[in-house]
Amino acid sequence: MEQKAIYDLLAGHLGEHAIAWHEGEIEPWAEIAPEGINPACVFLRDDQRLDFNQLMCLSGIDWDGFDEAGKGKSLGILGYTDEGAPEASDRVAEGDFGVVYHLYSHGQRHKFTLRVRVARSVAAVPTVSEVWPTAAWHEREAWDLVGITFTGHADLRRMLLEESWEGHPLRKDYVMPASWEGVPMDGRPYAVNPFPATEPEPKGDSTPPAEA
Amino acid sequence: MSTGELKKGGWADQDHVPGIKSELLELNMGPQHPATHGVLRLLLKTDGEIVYQVTPVLGYLHRCAEKIAEGVNYKQWVVYTDRFDYLAPMCCNHAYVTAVEKLMEVEVPRRAEHLRVVTAELSRIASHLIALATFGLDMGAWTPLLYCFREREEILNLLERISGGRMLYNYMVPGGVRYDVPNDGWVESVLEFITMLENKKIKDYNDLLTYNKIFIERTADVGVIDEATAKAYGCTGPVLRGSGVKFDCRRDDSYSIYDKFDFEIPVGMGEQGTVGDCWDRYIVRVREIEQSCRIIRQALESLPDGSVQAIDLIKPVKVPVGAAYSRTESAKGELGHYIISDGGQTAFRNKVRSPSFCNLQVVEKVGVGQMVSDLVALVGSLDIVLGEIDR
Amino acid sequence: MDILTALLQGLPGFGGMSDQGLFITGAAVMATLMFTVMALCAIVFTWMERKVAGFIQSRYGPMRTGRWHGWAQAVADMLKILGKEDIIPAEADKGLFVFAPLVVLLGSLLAWVAVPWAPGFVAADLDLGLFFIFAASSMVVIGILMAGWASNNKWALYGAARGAAQMVSYEIPLALATIPVIMHVGSLNTQDIVIAQQGGIWHWFILRDPFLFVAFWMYFIASIAETNRGPFDMPETESELVAGYHTEYTGMRFAFFFLAEYANLFLVSLIAVFVFLGGWWSPIPGLDFAPALTFVIKGILMVFLNMWVRWTLPRVRVDQLMYLCWKVMIPVTLLCIVGSGILMITSGAVG
Repeated sequence: MEQKAIYDLLAGHLGEHAIAWHEGEIEPWAEIAPEGINPACVFLRDDQRLDFNQLMCLSGIDWDGFDEAGKGKSLGILGYTDEGAPEASDRVAEGDFGVVYHLYSHGQRHKFTLRVRVARSVAAVPTVSEVWPTAAWHEREAWDLVGITFTGHADLRRMLLEESWEGHPLRKDYVMPASWEGVPMDGRPYAVNPFPATEPEPKGDSTPPAEA
Repeated sequence: MSTGELKKGGWADQDHVPGIKSELLELNMGPQHPATHGVLRLLLKTDGEIVYQVTPVLGYLHRCAEKIAEGVNYKQWVVYTDRFDYLAPMCCNHAYVTAVEKLMEVEVPRRAEHLRVVTAELSRIASHLIALATFGLDMGAWTPLLYCFREREEILNLLERISGGRMLYNYMVPGGVRYDVPNDGWVESVLEFITMLENKKIKDYNDLLTYNKIFIERTADVGVIDEATAKAYGCTGPVLRGSGVKFDCRRDDSYSIYDKFDFEIPVGMGEQGTVGDCWDRYIVRVREIEQSCRIIRQALESLPDGSVQAIDLIKPVKVPVGAAYSRTESAKGELGHYIISDGGQTAFRNKVRSPSFCNLQVVEKVGVGQMVSDLVALVGSLDIVLGEIDR
Repeated sequence: MDILTALLQGLPGFGGMSDQGLFITGAAVMATLMFTVMALCAIVFTWMERKVAGFIQSRYGPMRTGRWHGWAQAVADMLKILGKEDIIPAEADKGLFVFAPLVVLLGSLLAWVAVPWAPGFVAADLDLGLFFIFAASSMVVIGILMAGWASNNKWALYGAARGAAQMVSYEIPLALATIPVIMHVGSLNTQDIVIAQQGGIWHWFILRDPFLFVAFWMYFIASIAETNRGPFDMPETESELVAGYHTEYTGMRFAFFFLAEYANLFLVSLIAVFVFLGGWWSPIPGLDFAPALTFVIKGILMVFLNMWVRWTLPRVRVDQLMYLCWKVMIPVTLLCIVGSGILMITSGAVG
């Protein structure tokens, strides 16, 4: 089915929650309000004409500092300074968060893309893990790395990082830690060499240096 | 003797003997464990030999490659894709350059496309050989491991001759491949190798392992992933095909030049037990090796002349603004890249959808009620690679 | 013991010894000999295992240490193992942990005294020889259970529980398979069993009647399970239980388990040889020049068969293992006993 036709069906079902249709050249997408994402996914999965039985990918995105002009002038990521200290910036992050859903139908052989945008202060999207179980891990990953809360998720823990990790690395304003649980993160050696290399004994002439 | 019977016999779902306190045993399988294929950690709750809960704990190999992608340019990041599925790095290269080229809308030279297909399929064979080998090892059969590694060694030699690397190649770049075919009879060597593999070696594996009675007993009807579960959990690749779904990105969502080749998509048919059991997933990989050989032969026999790079190799590429999800069939399944470009030299966001990550999730559901030995079989048959899961 | 006592009496300095003194000296000599043979066979068989595995897996195996086909590799390995740090886990039950390898070693060592190496050459010529061997070797399971429990490691516990279930179960078909032979001989004395097979390959018990032939293979399968080797290596199962009951053991204590495994392997092979395969008799009558050598060569061939199986087959699952024992092997061995008995009566061997 044509992408636009899918969107028209979806928009007819969702009403006001279907915000806009973006006819991109490479990958068109539908923008959905966060409140509408769960009904939208249930509809897309259960409607026989659409039959989206697979969630290919779910990506969490931090749109902070995105260069809308398309000149490649987006904000750079923060790293470590030459001295090894974490780089910080005074700028207050303000961009929205986004979640992108890529769907595929094994029966109908068509794809569809949904996008959701939430304000940075909200940073919460309803979960779709009950629609497709595979979303559970994708959402945990998005929570872990981008810091988007998925309301209604049964088990929203960190996926790849430790529970004690602070911050969400894929946020654009993420500041690298100097250390984590006592482990230096900036490339300094973790353990101290118990046998430090001593200076070689002077050979031959072993006379003490003349007193001043 | 099926696991279905065993599920009922466990302690935890019966009334306990009065006066005897019993509890589930918490077991830490991994991160250092011989059957977890790397640094996977499975938290098990077991009742004797029967598993009541599986909780995979990931991240022991996490490098946050997606963050690195925002800091290095498109060509530099190819080397990081090598490290995802380090058993089939060519497939990962291929997936990434396909995604970048989709955004750039660049025409790749025909010769480069053919070389990409040949190297990616060789990598796929190498990865499947390891899958067979380690699955056999999980079942306690040591000897197939050595046989499979012997053939893998040949593939590594071939790929070394064309790319210079044995394990991590960094061979493909957006717009082509780095090196043309070396003029030392590489094409003939590849053809010779796949002929030997098709005619002799696969028969060896089948004799030694595939149709071994004990092996069938251990894998048939074990760890059954039915079609609905496989789709709902986003399983792809041999896991999905093992469950009887005839789906392959190379054919059904064709990329590169796969639509030009004639090959079949093997699916699990439940020959030894139920559709979607461990044996089906295993045999799908064996048959895919044969199909990969067919693709390689066709690609090499129709290898066109010409250049192998469309874009200057030295300069960093600039990708026009846009966003696209591009998926390819890697050795483990659907490897997708979702790249958002702001028109610059680095990606604004590069999300990697790795097949092992999605395939592993099914363990949480299917692993329950299995015996510990069957869980090992299940994890082995999923053929996960931790570099890709943890990224 | 008789031959040894006679030998000792002939030696200068032993002539004036009392019978008791001679007995103790003889026992000491025998014990030393047994232990040496055991240690030696562990070394020889580890090397052999690697070469056989290499042969089956189309590679060489050790080739460097000691020049000729890496013959010194096993010696070097032994030295390495003995040189390793001895670690006892902090939470382990120390007494049991230390004691367990000794029990395992004792179990497999004790059984060796009744092995008939050559006519009259047996450390203890017991009337209940075969029975004694099975009884002594079943002590191994106690050691394995102790090791698994004392390690305070869940994987070790799994290995021990599997090992106990497996070894206790497989002792039954193992012993039952030898009963038809005992019926033929009418004695449990190991010397008598071998003497009854005199007269060439057709007089060996394996070829006496079809039921004995089946009984031999039943014995062979059960013996693989009894020695915890693939495809029945449930207590170890390196791909499931890390290393099973000896996960926490290092150094000398691990070496004891290692030693016991190979001693056990050779022991069950030698039992197969003297019960079914004619003991020290050569296949062709009248060629019995070196009985002890014939006996050992046959034993090594059986060990080779064992290794061949191990390096070819995948491992069975623990419930399939139990199924095989209780629902297949025990009925078949019982059938062999009945069938062999009926054949004996009909052929007039028994009044």
